[in-house]
Amino acid sequence: MNRVLFGHLWRSQRTKLLIICVAMAAWNVFLPVIYQSFGIQMKALVDSGIIPKQLTNFGGGDVFSLAGAIALGYVHPISIILVSIFAIGFTTSAVAGERQRGTLEVLLARPLSRRAVYLTTLAAVLSFIGLVLAAASVGTVVGSTIVGVLDELAIDRLPMLWLNGMLLWGGFAAIGLAASVSFDRLTPAIGVTVAIVIVMYFLDILGSLWPDAKGLQPYSLFHYLASRDILTGVVSLGGLAILAAVGAVAIGVALVVFPRRDLAAPS
Amino acid sequence: MTVGLTKTYGHATRRAHLPGRAATGEVRALEDLTISVAEGEIFGFLGPNGAGKSTTIRLLLGYLHPTAGSATVLGFDIVRDSVAIRGRVGYLPGGIALYDSLSGERLLDYLGELTGRPSIRRAELLDRLELSARTLRRPVRDYSRGMRQKIGIIQALQHDPELAILDEPTEGLDPLMQRAFYAILDDLKAAGRTIFFSSHVLSEVERVCDRVAIVRRGRLVALQDVASLLEHRKRNVELRAADGDLPALDGVAGVSGIGRTADGRLTCQLEGDVGPFLAAIAGHRITDLTIEPAHLEEAFLELYEDTEPEDADGAPTSQTVPPPVAVG
Repeated sequence: MNRVLFGHLWRSQRTKLLIICVAMAAWNVFLPVIYQSFGIQMKALVDSGIIPKQLTNFGGGDVFSLAGAIALGYVHPISIILVSIFAIGFTTSAVAGERQRGTLEVLLARPLSRRAVYLTTLAAVLSFIGLVLAAASVGTVVGSTIVGVLDELAIDRLPMLWLNGMLLWGGFAAIGLAASVSFDRLTPAIGVTVAIVIVMYFLDILGSLWPDAKGLQPYSLFHYLASRDILTGVVSLGGLAILAAVGAVAIGVALVVFPRRDLAAPS
Repeated sequence: MTVGLTKTYGHATRRAHLPGRAATGEVRALEDLTISVAEGEIFGFLGPNGAGKSTTIRLLLGYLHPTAGSATVLGFDIVRDSVAIRGRVGYLPGGIALYDSLSGERLLDYLGELTGRPSIRRAELLDRLELSARTLRRPVRDYSRGMRQKIGIIQALQHDPELAILDEPTEGLDPLMQRAFYAILDDLKAAGRTIFFSSHVLSEVERVCDRVAIVRRGRLVALQDVASLLEHRKRNVELRAADGDLPALDGVAGVSGIGRTADGRLTCQLEGDVGPFLAAIAGHRITDLTIEPAHLEEAFLELYEDTEPEDADGAPTSQTVPPPVAVG
């Protein structure tokens, strides 16, 4: 871990981080508002049979409660895209992008081990993701307060929800960084990481909407983002352990691969 | 110091049929390089693109891992102590890329802080390379190629490293700035710093270096003092005599390639001691005599013009690459 590099990464991302935190908070303000304003009407619509009941399984299967609405927000593409800007975009370009641009040459000409570069970048991205997810929690509280449903929200469970999100997105960030240290160019690093995230996302969605595909869900890391369960007081330690294990394996791979690989002159 | 430093890419049993691969399926970027650079000298490392110059530098700085052999820089092993080496070395990569969004000043601050040593030479270098405070406040993306190169030189030297490794350092500099840069090198040398200078600009190597190593296709072909290398090169001689009274130079020691031009001038090549040649022309009515000084470029080309068998793809094979011409 290098303090100077950490500070540089923070300075270079601070504007983007601020914008994404505001966007994430705004999105999560919106969810309690939707629940309060349209929840009852939506439930009546689904109960009427116009919308297939199976569709309500998306995001935890309880979209008409506050906890269900918040859980839906965590797996909604808007949330996914906002967090992915750091978990995928930043991580994949952190090493492979610098390598492609040629700036990694200058960085590694300093007395920094590759492990220090990796761990500093990992620490930076985890701090970014942590702030974005914290902004989501803040938005949830603010939104619930605005529409007067704060008493329905288990605020004391938000830290566990944050931790669950951190383990999921930290895992994807670790996968992105492992790809980044393994490739000389940005495109394959992004391609591999995006492919993993998209495939896992669709496995989870498919499993939630189609009963025959339910067996596929455990193969997706999104399956272990149990937002609704956490907000209703159920915590799956096994799920958290799986997310932590995936992140740890990705970190281990990167720590082995990066120091050992040759960094030929950029073309 | 390097001992038998070797770097190969590829796999011995795979893809041997592909173009650009040696018969074994391996590409030998550097083979059995043994050189020693003395403290306080300016050491030139010469060779055309792809000869192995950058590979050597990248091995020394830990970007690449050697396939065989070993090397130490400032007494530190290049594999075990790479971080310690980079703490004492200033490195200018060839065709340096910089962080475009930063200002020149912020970039130098950042790289200086990462190095962890005070940038004691920065003000002097900025002055000598004529980079103003106003220029430094502008983002690097607005810099010309020459200005980027100046920033590259400053980031490599601002912390007064014990060893500077400079890869094509004058690329993009105008002649005045090149001269200023050579003066900086002279001062560094006077201060006891060691410079490892990679270039394919022969005239500047001749201008600044004490010794030179020449690599060709990953192998060392010459390692000599610049003065010694030049001394043994042939000089081009051209003379004109009144009334066609040209001297007979056949058999004169050191003279070769004797010829006559259409307008009656005598041309030849002269190697080593000029005494026998001067004795041979004494007594003749010489009206004009030109002896061109030997340039490193000619020495270099002479070494490179040596024919070397190649495999079908143009890559040298281990059986055909000759041993180094001179190591000393």
